[in-house]
Amino acid sequence: MLKLAWKYMRYYRSQTLAILASIVLTAALLAGISSLIYSSQKSDLANSQTIYGDWHYYVEADEELYESIHSGETGNGYDLKQCGKMEIRDVVSEEFVIRFIQTDAAYRQMAHRDLLEGTFPEKENEIAADGFVLSSLGFSGNPGDSIQIGGRDYVVTGILKSRWAADAGEMEIFVSDTFQTEEAEGAQTLGSSAVKPGREQFLYLRFDEEEKLYRQLDAFLNAYRLDAESVVGNDEVTRYLGGEAPAGIYEIIKFGLTDEEGNLTYILLKLQSDYNLAYNGMIGFLCLFSLFVVYSVFSISVSRRTSEYGMLKTLGISGRQIGGTLLLELWMLFFLGYPLGCLAGNGIVSLVCQKVSWSAMISGFVFLLISLAAVAWMVVRSQRKYSLKEAMSGDTSFTKKRKIYALHPVPMAGVVVRKFMFANKKKVTGILISLSVGGCIFLCTTYMVENLKIHAELSLKSDDGLGSEYRISLKSCSLIDTIPEAVADQIQSMPETEHVYATKYTLSEMIQIEELEWEHYFDQQNQVLSFQQRFGGICVRQDDGTYRIKYDMYGYDQELLEQLGDFILEGEIDPEEMKTRNQIAAVANMDGQGNYSFYGKKPGDTVTLRVPRTDGYTDELLDFQGNEECYIEQEFEIAAIVSRTLAREQEFLNSDVWDDSPSVIMTNEQMKDYFGITGYHLIHASPAEGMEPEKVTNQLLQAIRDVPKAVLQDYSAAIETQKNYLKQQQIFFSGIAVILLVISLFHIVNSMNHTIFARRREYGIIRAMGITDSGFYRMILQTGILYGVLADVFIFLIYHLVLRRVMDYYMTHIVQFLHLTADVPNLVLMGIMGLNVVIAVGAVMFPAWKLVRENMISQITQ
Amino acid sequence: MSILELHNVEKIYGEKENQVYALRDISLQVEEGEFAAIVGTSGSGKSTLLHIIGGLDNPTKGKIFVKNREIASLSRKELTIFRRRNIGFVFQNYSLMPVLNVYDNVALPVTFDRGRHLNRKYIEELLRELGIWEKRKKYPHELSGGQQQRTAIARALVNKPHILLCDEPTGNLDSATTIEVMGLLKASCRKYQQTILMVTHNEAIAQTCDRVIRIEDGRIVTGKRKFPVKGGDALC
Repeated sequence: MLKLAWKYMRYYRSQTLAILASIVLTAALLAGISSLIYSSQKSDLANSQTIYGDWHYYVEADEELYESIHSGETGNGYDLKQCGKMEIRDVVSEEFVIRFIQTDAAYRQMAHRDLLEGTFPEKENEIAADGFVLSSLGFSGNPGDSIQIGGRDYVVTGILKSRWAADAGEMEIFVSDTFQTEEAEGAQTLGSSAVKPGREQFLYLRFDEEEKLYRQLDAFLNAYRLDAESVVGNDEVTRYLGGEAPAGIYEIIKFGLTDEEGNLTYILLKLQSDYNLAYNGMIGFLCLFSLFVVYSVFSISVSRRTSEYGMLKTLGISGRQIGGTLLLELWMLFFLGYPLGCLAGNGIVSLVCQKVSWSAMISGFVFLLISLAAVAWMVVRSQRKYSLKEAMSGDTSFTKKRKIYALHPVPMAGVVVRKFMFANKKKVTGILISLSVGGCIFLCTTYMVENLKIHAELSLKSDDGLGSEYRISLKSCSLIDTIPEAVADQIQSMPETEHVYATKYTLSEMIQIEELEWEHYFDQQNQVLSFQQRFGGICVRQDDGTYRIKYDMYGYDQELLEQLGDFILEGEIDPEEMKTRNQIAAVANMDGQGNYSFYGKKPGDTVTLRVPRTDGYTDELLDFQGNEECYIEQEFEIAAIVSRTLAREQEFLNSDVWDDSPSVIMTNEQMKDYFGITGYHLIHASPAEGMEPEKVTNQLLQAIRDVPKAVLQDYSAAIETQKNYLKQQQIFFSGIAVILLVISLFHIVNSMNHTIFARRREYGIIRAMGITDSGFYRMILQTGILYGVLADVFIFLIYHLVLRRVMDYYMTHIVQFLHLTADVPNLVLMGIMGLNVVIAVGAVMFPAWKLVRENMISQITQ
Repeated sequence: MSILELHNVEKIYGEKENQVYALRDISLQVEEGEFAAIVGTSGSGKSTLLHIIGGLDNPTKGKIFVKNREIASLSRKELTIFRRRNIGFVFQNYSLMPVLNVYDNVALPVTFDRGRHLNRKYIEELLRELGIWEKRKKYPHELSGGQQQRTAIARALVNKPHILLCDEPTGNLDSATTIEVMGLLKASCRKYQQTILMVTHNEAIAQTCDRVIRIEDGRIVTGKRKFPVKGGDALC
């Protein structure tokens, strides 16, 4: 059989090459896209690690445990690659809450707290801190200079790399091991329950990332008899590395289908989070498509030798032996083609990313090895069926129509060509699918990328506050502290800055809410102790059955309000009208599945808000349980419901446990007129064009020098990182589309080639009867155009009726993009349509050209 | 008046040491309305001669005149159109379009001439004369061999060509159908004043024609040769 397979391969060289090419392309596709997806995941992970640190978990440890665990430790079921140690030696509450921490190198490495200048402290009175902390403390010197904190003098020995700007919540000062606490002076709180004086020791753990983290953590906790409750995970990082044990697929589906709270979105979200549905789904789809292409090419090749196999059968070879011969042929080509394809796929992908997924390549090898056996079996089976059918009656599907075409003024050659080209329904469907798959994937990815761009842009503006390079905020939990109007004016008039947005803030309470659409929406927040202590709970049910809910209340300037327009779910924002008609914009609540709601209210409805009076304000009033005269109650009309805020206060409702606290937005003037609020809480600014960042930073620091508790955060590096990340995402999606386009193209050309050459003799006769070359080309061209147009119609329908809806669902509920406002640009849509026609025309014209160049006699006598 | 003239035609396949002479120094004249048979053994060059006359292949050397026009002087496109309007082909294996019914197969060559009116009456007359009018909506695979060949003849005649080139038109037919087809060709030759050149290896069939042109090793043989007649006496 091996010999027979080898002889066939050599004899049908061009077909062998076509099969080899299909296998090479399949392998390239699988390897390339696996690597692309793998790279994308690695890049997501790297992005998260940049933001949140390399560590996976941390645990609070006692002295004995703290000293006994070290990096590189391995145990039964875990491999602790790094163990960073961090000890809080002291907490000082002066202008800000400052933690004095003693750390080891492993911790600093994992938390990305590298030294930029100077050295780490070695003596008792030496400290090091990042630029953000030092500048907030008013330090503008160099290493070696002194600074006074909490009444003690320290020498600054080093300046560290700042923490990720968005995460710069607490101020840390690095001290040496010899640092001693001044117990009486240091341990005071500023009313925040998060501040704990005294020595606390933490172990930051980084396990082997090649193994599932949750298993290693379990083993580690068992080994040291630690309680799982004491562990805090770096969720944004561990979710890429199996940080939590996945639920069983059966359980997920069962819950989704049977439980009251379950639905399709739940199933998909859970499968996405536990099993990386998008990644595995994409790979699965690609595998199927690749196999379809290999099957198509192989079956075309085998169909040309049907008669020979029939002859072999008459000589006594069994169907199984023929199948074995075909399988051997496929496997031989596979062993040759797979490594070549992997090299090609990874080679192309390495131009845009560096990561190669070895495990995907090995899995792909095993998958294709088995699948090719299935392909051989299917081809043998279909050939057997075909031969039998042909023996009985031939392909007679076209005989159903007894119409005489010549009675109408139609070019008969065109009818012949069309009938030949569309005779085999399976092949036609295959070609149309191939033509459409590339286009559909391209449209979907373009749609995704366009919305991803907007989502990323809006996310930068809203969630992380990365819309502006600089953010001035107050490290204060009191509404007393504000940035004076004069300072805001000064910053606005600085030549070094532009797009300066000064934002007012106060905490408010929305009252008389009759109905909560999602009953358990506020459960988690209601249980947070600090929220109960500071704000008297978040969502409080009243005796009359209505609810009172704490709300962040913002005052935006006109420009920021206009930008808010991008986030509108319902209604309109007109700053002037907001002032005159007493209107606000309300931020909708969003559930875990991307659904928005605002207690069933619409623009035009009213809400009532309570705000602590500025006169006689004390922090105790934030629990909203003081005397009625201490609060101002005001009714507002809802102008618009929006999905996000733009500038966000991070010292009140927004915190570690709640990153999407409810908010209402009005104009700065309204804040002043209704509630007497004149000072600002936040100022966002961008550097003027051509300005050096250092100069802008200095000017801003100078401006806020005299504002108590005001700090400046520099987001420029973070913005750059996010932009690069977005670029990688775009490359990833475009890469997939291009690779698919190539394999589709190959399949189309091969199928068209076969379709035309299978009728070589008939075309020869038509030519002998006197059709001119141009006439022949015209007929073929018309068929190519027809194929292209049919594929276009197919793409158009499938994209608009199915794919776009699926994409909208996916983007809204699974990846939860902000506002799907972008559509595929018309130019791209027309480009795809045009490209399809060009591909189809090219695919038919090339074999037609070859046919015309052939000797007519050889075609007729074939 | 001769409708076809060949002067010293040669056809060589291959190059250098692999050269094979398919035709050597063929000179020939065929009169208008003549029904000539080209006979010869397998590989003698008779089909090659037919293809070259029909402009399907080019001679290596020599000149061919059809209706006093040298076909080598025509461009590729002109030759195609010339062939379409003046020469009809009938092949041994019928060479019908399997996806067209009888009527459409016959009408096919007419539609190659853009804007040319389809003479439905003439097609009907042809099909009736050939006895396949009732089968006009049938597809080739639904017809017998004889009916398929009649369709092929009708298709060859539909453009009213001056010359009909038939390559073993009865090669796949039983003797009864062979008689029918030959009768039809002769009748057509008479009725439309057509010149027919028919390649055959069957001496008995050849003898029914006006003239027999013998080819051996690519040359026209002029001397008398005897061929064994196999059951074809009834034709003569």
